[in-house]
Amino acid sequence: MSIQCLAPTPVTTRRILTDKAGKPATPSYLGLHLALQSSPQQIIETITASGLRGRGGAAFPTGKKWQACAGTTSDQRYIIANGNEGDAGSYIDRVLLERDPHSVIEGILIGAYAIGASKGVIYIRSEYPTATSVMKTAIEAARDAGHFNANDFSCEISVVQGAGSFVCGEETALINAIEGLRGEVRLRPPYPTESGLFGKPTAVDNIETLCNIPFIIEHSANQYKRMGTSTSAGTKTLCFNHGFVRPGIVEVEFGTPLQTAIDAAGGSKSPLAAILLGGPMGCVIPPDQWDTPVCYEAMQARGYDLGHGSIIALPKSADKAALLRHWLSFMADESCGKCEPCSLGSKRSCQIINEPWNADSQKQLNDLLHLIGQTSLCAFGREIPRAVSQYLDIFHDEIFTPKSS
Amino acid sequence: MSEAFINGRAIIPLESETILEAAKRLSVEIPTICHSDRLHAEGGCRICLVECEGEAHPMAACHSEIRPGMIIHTNTEKIETLRAQLHELYDHHRESSTPCSSAAQETHPYLSLDLTACINCRLCLNACEQIQGQFVFSISGRGSAKTISIGDMDTFADSPCVACGACADICPTDAIIDRDTLNNGDHQKAVTSTCGYCGVGCQIEVEVDVDANDVMSIKGVSDAAVNKGHLCAKGRFSHSYLKSGDRLTHPLIKSLDGSFKEASWGEALELITTTLGDTAKKYGPSSVGAFTSSRTTNEACYLLQKYFRSILLSNNVDCCARVCHSSTALALQLVTGTGAASSSYQDIEASSCILVAGANPTEAHPIVGARIKQQVLGGTPLIVVDPRKIELTEYADVHLQLTPGTNVALFNGLAKILYDRGDIDEPYLLERIENYEEFKVFIDTISLAEIVETTGVDLESMHKAASLISSTEGVGTLFVHGLGLSELEQGTASVMTLCNLGMLTGSIGKPGSGMLPLRGQNNVQGSADMGSMPDQFTGYQSVADPSARERVQKIWGSLPPEEPGLTIPEMIDAAADGSIRGLWIQGEDIAQSDPNESHVRAALEALDFLVVQEIFFSETCHFANVILPSASYLEQEGTFTNGERRIQHVQPAVTPPGESLPDWLVVRDAANLAGAEWRYQHPAEVMDEIARIAPHLFGGVSYSRLKKDGLQWPCPSVNSPGTSTVHSSSFLRGKGSLTTIDYAPSSEHHVSGYPYLLITGRILHHYNVGTMTRRSGQSSLTSRDFLEINPEDAKRENIRDGDIINIQSRWGQIAVPIKHSARTAPNTLFLSFHFPETHTNQLTGPALDPMSKCPQYKATAVKLLV
Repeated sequence: MSIQCLAPTPVTTRRILTDKAGKPATPSYLGLHLALQSSPQQIIETITASGLRGRGGAAFPTGKKWQACAGTTSDQRYIIANGNEGDAGSYIDRVLLERDPHSVIEGILIGAYAIGASKGVIYIRSEYPTATSVMKTAIEAARDAGHFNANDFSCEISVVQGAGSFVCGEETALINAIEGLRGEVRLRPPYPTESGLFGKPTAVDNIETLCNIPFIIEHSANQYKRMGTSTSAGTKTLCFNHGFVRPGIVEVEFGTPLQTAIDAAGGSKSPLAAILLGGPMGCVIPPDQWDTPVCYEAMQARGYDLGHGSIIALPKSADKAALLRHWLSFMADESCGKCEPCSLGSKRSCQIINEPWNADSQKQLNDLLHLIGQTSLCAFGREIPRAVSQYLDIFHDEIFTPKSS
Repeated sequence: MSEAFINGRAIIPLESETILEAAKRLSVEIPTICHSDRLHAEGGCRICLVECEGEAHPMAACHSEIRPGMIIHTNTEKIETLRAQLHELYDHHRESSTPCSSAAQETHPYLSLDLTACINCRLCLNACEQIQGQFVFSISGRGSAKTISIGDMDTFADSPCVACGACADICPTDAIIDRDTLNNGDHQKAVTSTCGYCGVGCQIEVEVDVDANDVMSIKGVSDAAVNKGHLCAKGRFSHSYLKSGDRLTHPLIKSLDGSFKEASWGEALELITTTLGDTAKKYGPSSVGAFTSSRTTNEACYLLQKYFRSILLSNNVDCCARVCHSSTALALQLVTGTGAASSSYQDIEASSCILVAGANPTEAHPIVGARIKQQVLGGTPLIVVDPRKIELTEYADVHLQLTPGTNVALFNGLAKILYDRGDIDEPYLLERIENYEEFKVFIDTISLAEIVETTGVDLESMHKAASLISSTEGVGTLFVHGLGLSELEQGTASVMTLCNLGMLTGSIGKPGSGMLPLRGQNNVQGSADMGSMPDQFTGYQSVADPSARERVQKIWGSLPPEEPGLTIPEMIDAAADGSIRGLWIQGEDIAQSDPNESHVRAALEALDFLVVQEIFFSETCHFANVILPSASYLEQEGTFTNGERRIQHVQPAVTPPGESLPDWLVVRDAANLAGAEWRYQHPAEVMDEIARIAPHLFGGVSYSRLKKDGLQWPCPSVNSPGTSTVHSSSFLRGKGSLTTIDYAPSSEHHVSGYPYLLITGRILHHYNVGTMTRRSGQSSLTSRDFLEINPEDAKRENIRDGDIINIQSRWGQIAVPIKHSARTAPNTLFLSFHFPETHTNQLTGPALDPMSKCPQYKATAVKLLV
């Protein structure tokens, strides 16, 4: 697996790049110690000034989230690292957890200090057992080195393992899972920053987001902001699947065209119909749009969603109908059950495409996808139908033209 | 701009208001499936979606906040289309799926389950969690495969279900349905009334088949202050006793051969009035007495004590408050000036800390128990003081599991800890409480080491409890207590020392805190209020008080003596020794429920003349000379007063069977036969007189003012809205009084040869002597009393679960089946008294609180004959 950085200064890959042997080096936690010399409010201001946004897909400004959490009155707050990376083809967080656990820990500790949390939880999906054991070892090392109790600031971090649910990457479902409840989405408001884990103010941050934190503290918000675009500051780590010549992660400055990253991955092994960006809730980008800059706003302007940044090659020769069936059955399997349009609608959509296809079926399916997207409770139910509709727009001829079996 | 718009109509949003709530205020209907006003928003069905200009997606009205500036449309074409499509989706799913457990359940006496009809709206689950707090339901499976599941084994009977019926009530389909609704068609009329089981006083809506004169089903009144639509299995479902074949339907007179013969009302009342009148004339007024029923209406109690006082000139009137909360009433009267709760049930939701002592509300006062549980689940700290691990201990921050009967020691210990730590409300004490100086001296003499020894409670737990009840920053603690405090030789002392804690923490007289004794019977508060007390007229006015006597004389035209009469235990003793010759016992089965059963039976046997007014042929009826058939609470009009002093209207739903009559009417007719001229035509007129007799408490009470939620006394004038928190500006006696009193072991403690302390009490499924519940579906849930024993004790004694064991006290012996119970502490036992064949009160004895005369049901020395 290749690890590359195209950005002027590596942020998330800085320690992984230098580590040729593949074993994570134990860093000095300079960022934490610098942070502890400022006040928590100053840290929040630095992160806000840096323009850092959540990397998990929602792209919410991290400083704003931490400010909301810090501004509550509570005897207890929590910070949670979301390692439930469930998007198909996404393994960015896995690499970071396995290869640079200390950046994650350091990011958590700085965040805990900023928001006034004395407890951190790293939630790692059950399908990443190596990441879990590497993280546990790193936590022991960090504790032994005194980082959980430095400068009068105490924070304990524990690891909680997921149990095979995509939806538990959604922050309220994740919190439910940690509490031992059903992994279902909660109504918002209240938002987790106000009432989250065990009813206490909680900041839930993606693994990649947290890995950006130590760099920003060490090097300054301005230096971070110098990279990227005016709306998307810093760098983004993308990952490429085995449909590319050099699968692996590529860190780019925001604003870099997709094509540049694709080229760094060696281009595709076979001619592509499109790339699937951002997993099942993401988007479908045909080759003539690969000049799109990697940037939240620029992509949205073209109707695309960066998501968490996973890139899957969709060869021209791929069975488009099979992918559609897989996509919808994924939705039906992973739907949590909290709301009816998504749980029943996803099952119904599978029925429609598995039944004999007739003149009405396409309209039925489109109407159903529209219904689910408009009426569902959470982003899962809203975004998957949108992505599938985008896919159908491009490939409906190929999918629905009767073939000889 | 401060307005939002719904369908073009302006509205100013309230704080944290949802779109659905705002629409309701505008009378705009938005359809919902999974929503209920009584529950938090669920947000699952998505039927309530509305459009809001500027928003990318429709918003769910049930959980979206309405804010100024929003322009909302509830039934645009887009919304109507989406709703129709959602319904189509749901219908299609139901038609095409087969749920896992497709067999309908028919095993429960009240609840029927058929998951094929379930639409997964989760109303049942949410009602069970958020109203009752039993957590019976769960969800299995993910996505479209999810189903409701019940307990471990998918049956109500094997789950924590208490059959409260909230799920059946709220289920919009036939998935969960109660048998009353299942077996009956549409009702012809609905009558609002007050439940006649326990002292909570839930408001009920009784659905009636007028033609068949049948109660079809009972529902909770959804906006009633006491219960907000909630009921328990007894109030909701246990009404089949009304139609039991063994209802008393005619007056009965005992013939010489001991058998009972039907008589006319004229004959029966003639015999009663003549015999009682003659007895009083020949042997003096103190030779007759009456026990008014704590289960009948205020009006009936008032008239019976008026009969004995104004016609027979006897003060021998008492009620079962004597054997229950008489210690509480006396203690509260002495230290605060009112012998009733200072707080109301609404203080539960306003509380910052709750202490429950000697009460098991989730079993004996289910609706109050559920309210306490919800408040505690929401984070309010809870301290439980009880020899048993009652259900509430699972939710408590600390359980002080003390030896039975050692409350005074424990409360003195807590007082000392509070004082030594300075965790007391000093300004409150200095301003509002007297005897503080003496109390300080007394506290100094308390030895915590001795308290630990006496109570068996460790010091750390006491400290934890003390820190919780005092740390509420000027708000105080809500002290809820029950018979575990009152029914002891040191009953009055137990309540007084608990009140000490109420005063030290500045709790009495403030919302969210204070003293809240849980009165047992549906109208025990009322019957005591009405003057069913040997030393007090209606409204707790002393029979010797000149101004009270003057007022009573004017209204009644005659007066009883100034000396107080006898209490129930004293009347029983007097009956046994022949000084009392005639008794009228209204609605109380003392042969089953009073202590020292052999003695009671002997006393009843010794009477010359006994009148029993009843709905069934009870144990006490065996000893009667005349039996008068009563209407039950669903068959007569009047008022009940619940444990928070709330006087509520009782209205008949059906007519009583045969010749049976409302109690008040029987007493009125008897009085008129005896020469009085009681012109009451309606119970409302009786209440009007009550208001004049005791204006300081009831002056403003009349039937026209008893709409919705009644009135809480004191209600001294027609302009008074009643009183929720008593003693708010000052105590009714002026200042509250601290009491210095030491613990003293009772005559049942440390009895050589009798190593166990027996506690008698109640279980969820049955009510008191079980007259009503044994004749309903409750019997199929529990059909016997069980002696609960700690499993370690059982092991040591070699007693297996289910064995029948002889148990003996110094007063009697019985045989009972055993139940191993981890909630029972070592060296203690628990036995309920719901079934006459158990003869539980053969074991209890003559131990009494010398001040209140309340029997010590809560600690009797017993041994097991293994």
